[in-house]
Amino acid sequence: MIKNHFFLLALFSVSGLGVGEEQKEISWESLREEGKKRSSYLKGEEESKVLKVLGTKPDLEGFKDVMQPIFKSNCINCHGPKKSKGGFRVDELSGDLLHGPHINEWLDIYEVLSNEEMPPDDKPKYAIKDSVRGDMIDWIGLEMKKAAEARKNEAGHSSFRRMTKYEYNYALQDLLGLPYNFAADLPPESTSEDGFKNSSQLLQMSAMQFEAYRNIGLRALLKATVRGDQPEPVNFVLSMEELALKGSEQERQRLAEEAKQAAENKEKEEKDQKKGDKKKKKKKKKRGPEMSILNYALKKNVKTENWGWSFDRKDLTMPSPSSNVYVLHGGKNLKLNMENRLPDEGIMRIRVRAGIEGKMANQYSSLRIGISAQTSNNANFSATISHRDMPVSSPHTEPEVIEFFIPLSEIPRNPLKNEKGKGRMVNEFISIYHISNGGSHGQKVYLDYLDISGPFYEEWPPKSHRRLFPKYSEADEYLRGKNSLVSFMTKAWRRPVTEPELEKFMGLYETYRPEFNNMEDAMLEVMATVLATPDFLYINRESRREEKQPQKVSDLDLASRLSFFLWSSIPDEELIDLAKANRLSETETLRAQVHRMLQDDRADRFSLNFVEQWLGLDGIDNISVDRKTHGPYSSSLKEASLHEPIAHFNEVLSKNLSVLDFIQSDYVMINQTLAHHYGISEVHGPHFRRVELNDKTQRGGLMTTAGVMTVNSDGKDSHPLKRGVWILERFLNDPPPPPPPNVPEVDLTDPEILKMTLKERMADHRNNPACLSCHQKIDPWGIAFENYNALGKFRTEIKGKDVDATSELHNKQKLAGALGLKSYLLTERQDQFVRAIVHKMVSYALGRHLSFKDNQAVDALASEFRKKDDRLKDLVSLIITSDLFMMN
Amino acid sequence: MNQKRHHFSRKNFLVGSGLALSLPWLETYAGSQKSQPETPKRFFSVYHPDGVGLPLKKDPAWKDWSWFPRGGEHDFELTKVLDVLEPLRSEITIYSGLSHPAARKVHGHSNADQYLTAAAIGGHGPYKNSISVDQVYAEKVGELTRHASVVLSTNGGTGAPRGTYTSSFNRAGRPIPGMNQPKQIFDSLFMASGKDAVERLARSKSALDLIMDNTRAMKKRLSSHDQRTIEQYLDAVRDTEVKLAKAQKWVDAPAVQVDSKDCHLEASPKEAKQYVQTMYELVYLSFLSDSTRSATYNMGRENGEGPHDLLSKAVGLGGAHGLTHNVKKPNGWKNLGIYNRFQAEEFGRFVQKLKDTPEPNGDGNLLDNTFAMHGSASSSFHLSRNYPIISAGGSNLGFRNGRYLKFGHGNEDNQAGAGIASDKGWRSDAKHTEEPLAHLFVTILQRLGVEVDEFAGYKGGLSRV
Repeated sequence: MIKNHFFLLALFSVSGLGVGEEQKEISWESLREEGKKRSSYLKGEEESKVLKVLGTKPDLEGFKDVMQPIFKSNCINCHGPKKSKGGFRVDELSGDLLHGPHINEWLDIYEVLSNEEMPPDDKPKYAIKDSVRGDMIDWIGLEMKKAAEARKNEAGHSSFRRMTKYEYNYALQDLLGLPYNFAADLPPESTSEDGFKNSSQLLQMSAMQFEAYRNIGLRALLKATVRGDQPEPVNFVLSMEELALKGSEQERQRLAEEAKQAAENKEKEEKDQKKGDKKKKKKKKKRGPEMSILNYALKKNVKTENWGWSFDRKDLTMPSPSSNVYVLHGGKNLKLNMENRLPDEGIMRIRVRAGIEGKMANQYSSLRIGISAQTSNNANFSATISHRDMPVSSPHTEPEVIEFFIPLSEIPRNPLKNEKGKGRMVNEFISIYHISNGGSHGQKVYLDYLDISGPFYEEWPPKSHRRLFPKYSEADEYLRGKNSLVSFMTKAWRRPVTEPELEKFMGLYETYRPEFNNMEDAMLEVMATVLATPDFLYINRESRREEKQPQKVSDLDLASRLSFFLWSSIPDEELIDLAKANRLSETETLRAQVHRMLQDDRADRFSLNFVEQWLGLDGIDNISVDRKTHGPYSSSLKEASLHEPIAHFNEVLSKNLSVLDFIQSDYVMINQTLAHHYGISEVHGPHFRRVELNDKTQRGGLMTTAGVMTVNSDGKDSHPLKRGVWILERFLNDPPPPPPPNVPEVDLTDPEILKMTLKERMADHRNNPACLSCHQKIDPWGIAFENYNALGKFRTEIKGKDVDATSELHNKQKLAGALGLKSYLLTERQDQFVRAIVHKMVSYALGRHLSFKDNQAVDALASEFRKKDDRLKDLVSLIITSDLFMMN
Repeated sequence: MNQKRHHFSRKNFLVGSGLALSLPWLETYAGSQKSQPETPKRFFSVYHPDGVGLPLKKDPAWKDWSWFPRGGEHDFELTKVLDVLEPLRSEITIYSGLSHPAARKVHGHSNADQYLTAAAIGGHGPYKNSISVDQVYAEKVGELTRHASVVLSTNGGTGAPRGTYTSSFNRAGRPIPGMNQPKQIFDSLFMASGKDAVERLARSKSALDLIMDNTRAMKKRLSSHDQRTIEQYLDAVRDTEVKLAKAQKWVDAPAVQVDSKDCHLEASPKEAKQYVQTMYELVYLSFLSDSTRSATYNMGRENGEGPHDLLSKAVGLGGAHGLTHNVKKPNGWKNLGIYNRFQAEEFGRFVQKLKDTPEPNGDGNLLDNTFAMHGSASSSFHLSRNYPIISAGGSNLGFRNGRYLKFGHGNEDNQAGAGIASDKGWRSDAKHTEEPLAHLFVTILQRLGVEVDEFAGYKGGLSRV
């Protein structure tokens, strides 16, 4: 800590901001201002330095200067007109990798040079110096990168693509109005170089995929619809008032019984002691579960044994609150045997009336629902089935009703539940958990009533059925069917349906109809076919054939573009209606709609999917955290680590703050789990909230979040290389070239290498010329984060040694730890970072790879964005109103 | 007896739900449909619960009734448990020192689920499985036969998490229900398809026609670049049409002519010997008629509750699972050994039959082109290590038999103390090393012609196999 602080002072004096008193000088604001002064975008320079990443032209000069002299002196004798070993001649090579025919030969050369296979060891006279080898490798690497870009352009690109797996899932949810996970059977998507899963050229289609769509579509439609009369629900009621009465009655009986027994036993005891003992034991054995109920008004406990319940109660009117309660301590649960009564399908509603007793200021309590089954010893499972924990906030004297709605077909169930004669094996248990930070001695939840009902329908037929088959007045089933189909197709296809199209699908219906008992069942098969067409599965589909000039997208297409960008799903009726009236693209309407869309709950999908993909957070699933080093890795820490960057993004988005907050902010978005992880006190509860930082040296921004650090670790220790690559790829959009083939692994069996620290090992590896050129670009960025362990915890020591997180970029810029890195980005690299996030979001919004062709437009956007103070919500609007988004 | 029908036939894959057969997730079948002179390659796995009898070396029963052979790779000696396989010595391979690493400290009762999948399913809490090796193979060759795979089970159905009744799991990690009634298995394997299947197929065809038509109309409106994108979709639809045409072939196909003389189609596990022999016979007939190339048989779930517990009646003993608990009673090891011997004998009978049957196209015998394995996910008594595995056949696939292959180090005598003195042993730290069984799966898949270099995250095949 002291070390860090010292560094800060040093840095600030370098920056000429003066050294002030103890804490005050840590002003990220002033660094930002400093950095802004250096912004080329803000100065309005045509093309900033940062942007000259690559050329589009082959470096033929370099070919002449770097490559050819060596070819002539060291290679040509074996690979030339005299001899052409391996059928390969250097004198016939074209130096133009971008357009020339020899890309494969160049790949070979790159490989043999990197591996030091050529020139061969047994021909010392052709040996080349390490520095020369390095230059050659660099030249080829850069040219290959350019060639890759250039050839990508050759192939062309477009936003026309199928939905991703997650978009397809949301689309079905929105279309059918059901919260189910439909897409689980689809294979996972691959990820683009940018990290995005919605990139058009990656979204392939195959027979397997197509068949899955057909199956999923039909299954989803069947789930949304019902047949016949409303099924009688299974109702389970647990009223503590009732139980207490029962318990008191039981107690009276028991006392009477015991008194009687005691008298009898006394006589028997003298006759046959042993037998009597056995009998007594037998009689005391409980026949069912025991529950203790507290009457808090009377401060008295009643025990009830064998508390049977009924599953067929008709009346679910809640009685008024009772002072008889079940006490649920923190971390404990109430486990209820549902036997095998719960239905297989439909929604289960759970209502719990609960309140807090002994409220503590720094404690929270919430309820969670779980299911479990034990089909034999060691064959068991349990799972959380509530979507999220529901906080309990009312005092126990005025309890609140907390409701859960759980789709029974979507949760793990006991597969044996419908087998007959299997006794205990068929049982399922529902557990009500009290989740709290107070532990078993903290505040309590008093629970006085709960009921479980399923299948639960608010109305019959349910809304999801009526959505597909509204009540039409027509008596004729054909017409009713047709009306249903038109409405469904319009929503699914996001456009009006033409008469010929409709005729064809009604033709299909007529073919199917005789095989089914009713119109609805036949029509569902037709609707499933609608869901397998490209009109549903593909988006941005209205690119016209071969028009030279880019065209403005139609309003209907714009509606889909907007909704897939901000909701990851199909547009709603309001968007479609505006589009049909050709009003959506009007500036004012568009602005209002974007505002509305961002306010909608569905906008959470934007934050979730964009941030997760941009930052590569789903990589956390590939990290197996080493138990020996870090202890058990709790799911709550994993989930919180994943969520923090998303919460941070949401904060910046909803308050329209500067994206520079992603580099460094004076606050963090955390919950109790993360606060504990970060050593921040006074944050209680599982919900995320903004916490202002007192100590601004360790946290703030996205880079030093537990999520980002964990994703870029190996589960055991920090991984500077991964972290470095991550910064370059995700934050600065300057991806390093791919590692050369067959990079030598660091030999961990070498005792000399084992002795080294990680940093020394990396330095040793860098000394290999094949590795140097890349590593000197990557490593320093990662080393700067050495103060953060594999899980992103701050540390000042590693194995008893002080952490050395200082490094030097290849441009000789010194970085002193993460703090130094953040300061450097803020003062020197603002433009690059801002352009990177513009680039990333445009790529996500368009669902395609960006290339040279888009550079100018991205620069223009970045420039405008910078002038508007880098505010995130503005960026969303800027992208939507840009030509990139509005034109084909 | 709780037996129920687990409906199972190729036509099910068109329904899209209640799949007994996994949907053949086949990307490249169009390329692999060479006109059939190629000899079928087949995979079969038998799973038996409870491991095997492994008395400690100091126990007098060790000499005769310890399951694993003694001696070296070629000069191994079989104990009384496996001596029934002596005549097939040159056709079999016995393995020791193989197990799935993630399960090594999980109770043996929970582990049958991961035997063919190698998934880290753990011992409690949330549960997630992954695809089994037979289904990976079925994805590759399922299209070539009437049934992509055949999944059999003494208990029938899926069972429950960590208490599976089936050995087969689909791509999503969901269990594929096993069929358990011989008569119904026979019918669904070899009888002609019903009206339902015909209708469903016809519906799919008209849907595809309409989709093709609709998509072509859309294609005309697209730029040339986007036309290429939609062309991929059209290819997918065309591939599906080819698939349906094949399904049509099976739907139209008359009943398969097979000889059921060796089947006891009314047998239940009470008639233990007949039942087990019939299950093997059904697999034999499916292979002989090339009705499938991938089959599994889960001979019993872990733990004793269920019809599979009756199978020890075949050797006049009661309660198969109880045998493993009674090893310290008089004749305990012997009784368990006799039951294991019965299991080996029936596997041997099946292997012999494959060997005695020439390949219909004349390419050796059925055994030469079949890899059949027999094993369990615990060596002994709740201990999830050192799976006792026998494989047979596959000489045309590249398997060299007549060997006892020992893997790992430190347990040359195949000791398995867990559960004998106390029941804590299964969660103890292993004092010896073993190899991941998934490497054997990689080798098997590669030799069956599936281009993989890993299984469940384990890269590379198993050396020496």
